[in-house]
Amino acid sequence: MSSGLDVFVNHTVAIITSDGRNFIGTLKGFDQTINIILDESHERVYSTATGVEQVMLGLHIIRGDNVAIIGLIDEELDNRLNLASIKAEPLNSVVH
Amino acid sequence: MLPLSLLRTAQNHPMLVELKNGETYNGHLVSCDNWMNINLREVICTSRDGDKFWRMPECYIRGSTIKYLRIPDEVIDMVKEETAIKNRGRDNKGAKSQRGRPATRGNFGRGGGKTGNIGGRNLAQKTKQK
Repeated sequence: MSSGLDVFVNHTVAIITSDGRNFIGTLKGFDQTINIILDESHERVYSTATGVEQVMLGLHIIRGDNVAIIGLIDEELDNRLNLASIKAEPLNSVVH
Repeated sequence: MLPLSLLRTAQNHPMLVELKNGETYNGHLVSCDNWMNINLREVICTSRDGDKFWRMPECYIRGSTIKYLRIPDEVIDMVKEETAIKNRGRDNKGAKSQRGRPATRGNFGRGGGKTGNIGGRNLAQKTKQK
């Protein structure tokens, strides 16, 4: 089965979940319901007051129901970011 | 690798399960099925705001209510070993051993919370710049 996600496997991805959280990690696997294995993951918490806060999390299985967006991260570009200086409103949750 | 294979391998390991309603359940995985329904033992349930706690000897969680599961880092290595062992059973070719991964893994608790809670958003764990 190819859902187009297979090209992301073993790459760094950002997962935006339907509650508005942003998880970054290595995509290790997925299935037909878009359940996802995210390895060495961390969460980026955005705020307008302080810069982006990174919360180290580790190995995750994210249930497909909650996955809104999966984006490929350009690691080189990502490493150049100064997260401490990035201020932004956190995302809202999905409106059903 | 399939998420449900990883979950099956995580049996008898501690894990944190966050439900869609924000409640978290910390416990040892006893069993799981193809719908991600799971049995936990020695469970600590934490309310959405992280201010209330309940202990229970065991619980059953319907898969469809789960948001995500946090499992110990080393479990992902065990999946590879398991598939290697299975392949060895089928034929004696292939199935390279996956041992010798960097030792930076493990340390699931990362300093450990007072409650033995392994994290979630409410517990402000120290951040690390990537």
